[in-house]
Amino acid sequence: MTKDNPDTGIFYDLLDNYMPARIKAALLRLEPGRVKELEEIRLRGALPLMGVFAGYDRFIGADGQLFNGHEKALRVTEKELNELFYRLCDQSLYAYQEDIIRGFITLKGGHRAGVCGTVVYQGDRITGMRDISSVSIRLSRQLKGCAEAVFPSIIRNHRDVYNTLILSPPRCGKTTLLRDLCRLISQGTDFFSGLRTAVIDERSELAAMYRGIPQNDLGPRTDILDGCRKSEGIEMVLRGMAPHVIVVDELGGTRDAESVKLAWNAGVRLMATAHAFDLTDFRGRFGVGNLAHQEGFERIIVLGINNGKRWIRVMNTHGDELDFLVQGSGMPADFHRMYGLGTQNVGQAGREAACTLKTHGDPCQP
Amino acid sequence: MEILVSLKNLMCSLGTPLSVSFEIIGKEDTGGVWSDIFLESSRIMKEQHRDAGWAWKDALYRFRDQLPLSHTEVEALDNLGELLGKSDRISQETIIDMEKEKIALLEKKARELADTKGKLYRNLGPLTGAAMVILLI
Repeated sequence: MTKDNPDTGIFYDLLDNYMPARIKAALLRLEPGRVKELEEIRLRGALPLMGVFAGYDRFIGADGQLFNGHEKALRVTEKELNELFYRLCDQSLYAYQEDIIRGFITLKGGHRAGVCGTVVYQGDRITGMRDISSVSIRLSRQLKGCAEAVFPSIIRNHRDVYNTLILSPPRCGKTTLLRDLCRLISQGTDFFSGLRTAVIDERSELAAMYRGIPQNDLGPRTDILDGCRKSEGIEMVLRGMAPHVIVVDELGGTRDAESVKLAWNAGVRLMATAHAFDLTDFRGRFGVGNLAHQEGFERIIVLGINNGKRWIRVMNTHGDELDFLVQGSGMPADFHRMYGLGTQNVGQAGREAACTLKTHGDPCQP
Repeated sequence: MEILVSLKNLMCSLGTPLSVSFEIIGKEDTGGVWSDIFLESSRIMKEQHRDAGWAWKDALYRFRDQLPLSHTEVEALDNLGELLGKSDRISQETIIDMEKEKIALLEKKARELADTKGKLYRNLGPLTGAAMVILLI
């Protein structure tokens, strides 16, 4: 478990670049297995250091030990929290003020730091944040190859793709899947020629741009419009970049739907995600729901979990199932470990519980 | 003064982080020891993750012997970076403007001092001549 390990190297880079000494020392003492499972580091002023691992959270002690209770955990001081905050902002608050207003800062390596504090208003507009009280760093781990199994289902021929919509509840891996699909479309494969792709990365999650450089690999033919609203971004790239495919995350509003139609009218394919449990749920959505009817998205990918096993269902616009993939069907194991308990049997949790961490038990506890 | 204008543009108009702004200014034709000070500040910020105040003070201290400034003038400059990077763009603009005023004041004082000395030396010639004449007589 060294810095050279691509799986954990990003974690050590994160510690080197940002963490105050005492916290860095504690995190460096985490067991290697835990480092692999670590998804978030949560720091709160005058409160214990916490880690969110694969589906469970624990307090972290100065010696890297994990605790259920907070008494023995390392307490983060206000000074350390401030130090961390200024480091996250490259010691230049003004350069990150828009990010701070949005509530998060994208870091080198593609990680994302959410911040909380006292919000400063000017009139009815948020202009900044002071007295930072907590920082939550979500580690970015691009799962290259996680879309390879579904990719053949979304291509029309060797140089065209279907308009595709990925549906799932939050934290199920929609964005991860979309990111890898984007990479495959842009890069091409043995049986598919790469296409010019434009990504409208409104929440800086797909590419994780850091000073103009994407921290995630979205392929060599990809142009990225970072921090831009989907509705405006789609029009901008249509005008300026002549893409074959446009990729957007989390369709929601009526304006998004209008822009998607605009792209389709221009003959451009669209790859998108949306929060929904299934196709019926999505079709009932105000504004974007009608995009999944006829003449709309031609392939619908739904992600879910059942009996602790993740599955991917690919459907056509009529809801007919074209493909059904479960763990062991060629999808990388990492994909199934994301934000959940992996192969742990979580019982018939039901679709609501599928991806919302309503999981019981802890793989680390007997 | 020109350096501060460049810094203000980089920070407040372009939103360039301080370590990068210092590096750009250092690499521009700022010239002489000032280039070294800005580059050194940038290096300290990047490598040691220090804030601008610390980096600037440290860099100024390292190059103080090469500066064409008096001890008091160096002291007046050493807290230049103290408030840089600690607030939003509008506040940063105000801070840089205040620094510009401070430097303008230093310049004015230096000019007045030079004028006084100039007058002294200008008067010194005739006075020395007169003294010589008196002595000869």
